[in-house]
Amino acid sequence: MLNRSTVNKRLPYILLAPSVIILLALILYPLGFALRNSFWFWNLQTSPMPLYHSGWDNFRMVFLVTPFNEALKNTLLLAGLGTFAQFWLGMGIALLLHTHLRGMGMMRAVLIMPTTLAPVVAGFLFRYLLEPKGGILPWLLNGLGIPVPPQGFLGNAGTALFSIGLVDTWQWTPFFAIVLYAGLLSISEEIKEAAQVDGASGWRMFSSVTLPLLRPIAAFLVMIRFMQLFNSFDLVYVLTNGGPGTASRTLSFNLYREGLVNYNIGLTAAMTWLVVIIVSIIINLYLFFVFRKREW
Amino acid sequence: MRRHTARQKLAIYALMILVMVFFVGPICWFILLAFRHPSEAYTLPPQLIFEPYLGNFRDTFVEPGNNAPQLVNSLIVSSGATLLSLPFALSAAYALSRFAMRGKEFILNWYISLLIAPPIVFVIPYFILMSWIGWAGSYQAMILTLQTLAIPFSVWLLKSFIDEVPLDLEEAAWVDGATRLRAFFRIIIPLALPGLIVTSMFTFVFSWNNVLFPLVLSRGSTVTLPVGTISFFASTGVYWGHIAATAVVAMLPPMIIFLLLGRYVVRGLTFGAVKG
Repeated sequence: MLNRSTVNKRLPYILLAPSVIILLALILYPLGFALRNSFWFWNLQTSPMPLYHSGWDNFRMVFLVTPFNEALKNTLLLAGLGTFAQFWLGMGIALLLHTHLRGMGMMRAVLIMPTTLAPVVAGFLFRYLLEPKGGILPWLLNGLGIPVPPQGFLGNAGTALFSIGLVDTWQWTPFFAIVLYAGLLSISEEIKEAAQVDGASGWRMFSSVTLPLLRPIAAFLVMIRFMQLFNSFDLVYVLTNGGPGTASRTLSFNLYREGLVNYNIGLTAAMTWLVVIIVSIIINLYLFFVFRKREW
Repeated sequence: MRRHTARQKLAIYALMILVMVFFVGPICWFILLAFRHPSEAYTLPPQLIFEPYLGNFRDTFVEPGNNAPQLVNSLIVSSGATLLSLPFALSAAYALSRFAMRGKEFILNWYISLLIAPPIVFVIPYFILMSWIGWAGSYQAMILTLQTLAIPFSVWLLKSFIDEVPLDLEEAAWVDGATRLRAFFRIIIPLALPGLIVTSMFTFVFSWNNVLFPLVLSRGSTVTLPVGTISFFASTGVYWGHIAATAVVAMLPPMIIFLLLGRYVVRGLTFGAVKG
């Protein structure tokens, strides 16, 4: 690395400063705002300013007034199952693409289309397909003799969250597929040949050579997608609006409802901090266990 | 390279066709919806052959064309967010790529943790702040707050491109007496230009597809196209023809940009972490 003069010692920090300062301002303001107001009673419908100091009431109300525990459970379920499904489906498709049969290149280029859509657009698309009367998916499933709930998959408490996960999986499995495919390409032929000489083939080859070599990429993808699913808002908003009842509320949607529909700013501030703490724990656990030795 | 028997090939193609139908079929079906007469949105069994109807596009973008200004709004907000992020990201990416410094890993992780933090946490305080300072519903409110995503993303992606510009070239320029600034503009900028363009295209797409910020921070006259589409879920009914027409227009720019990006798609979607 370079060290031309003492000016150069300070230069990198000067170059970093503008982005760090603007980002810090954009982050610390909301966090500070939330911290202060989490101890105040404030409903925007009754007052443009916080009304009175309310101690820890807001934190208690989060659990009493909003379905926080249900939203947390939904969020973890959606993020965990969604990431799992997308990773393995994507891996399967990546292995198919990696056969390099004729036409695979073109199919890979087209396959990414769902990932390019805005999540709201993907939401509209599946609301249309899943429409209980007239949608093509219930019609197809009925034709195959698979029962469809009368309120539709999105209107049924048992299937609403699952449907959101399915739409997200539709949208993001291609992302896993093309990135894991790029990872497969980066594994050198020599390593594979060496393993073949040692008698590895098929499943053994995949589980003890391919998969470990893909680990750094896989860890990165899983972290990104887990958190994006954890933050799910757009799809929930368009597909189910958190319903029926509160059956498919995620933490992000719960915050939105309390803050920008009910205008309970104090309560939302308290909930914001609970979410920030949960997210920090997840990110730091991940950084600690998976990225301690960053390999990329 | 492994050879496949005819039977294996058949099985692989069969699976791949299923995959393509599942992932691309729904998009095609939705595009067809935009060209159907509203009365035919729910015709079952599905009709693949029908008389194309352009009224959905006419209603939304020409006459009365309430969605045409939203298209312009989307362009303004996405381009604005992209242009604003570039100078901030470029200088940070250069610093992180070219200097050894303490806390570098920490700063890189910090940027990425912003990218994966829940944006709703920031948006609600922004909503109140913007009305206090008189920016409620303004373009600049959306463009500024989108930087929480645009800058960290661009720093990561740009760094991966600057990393690839050989250090020798820069050092040769210094030996010839160029200042660091001059070398930056004469060496780094031209050689990392493809990277700058790719990064801008991705930032544009992510801003274009973002719905949460405009949903909360726009007002009637500054609403972006994807948000405008939501209004067709009215209490009086769902206007599928209009939804499909506006959504198809909203999905075109990202699709075209992704096609243009070609081999950079993997790198962009992974913030530069996977070269692809």
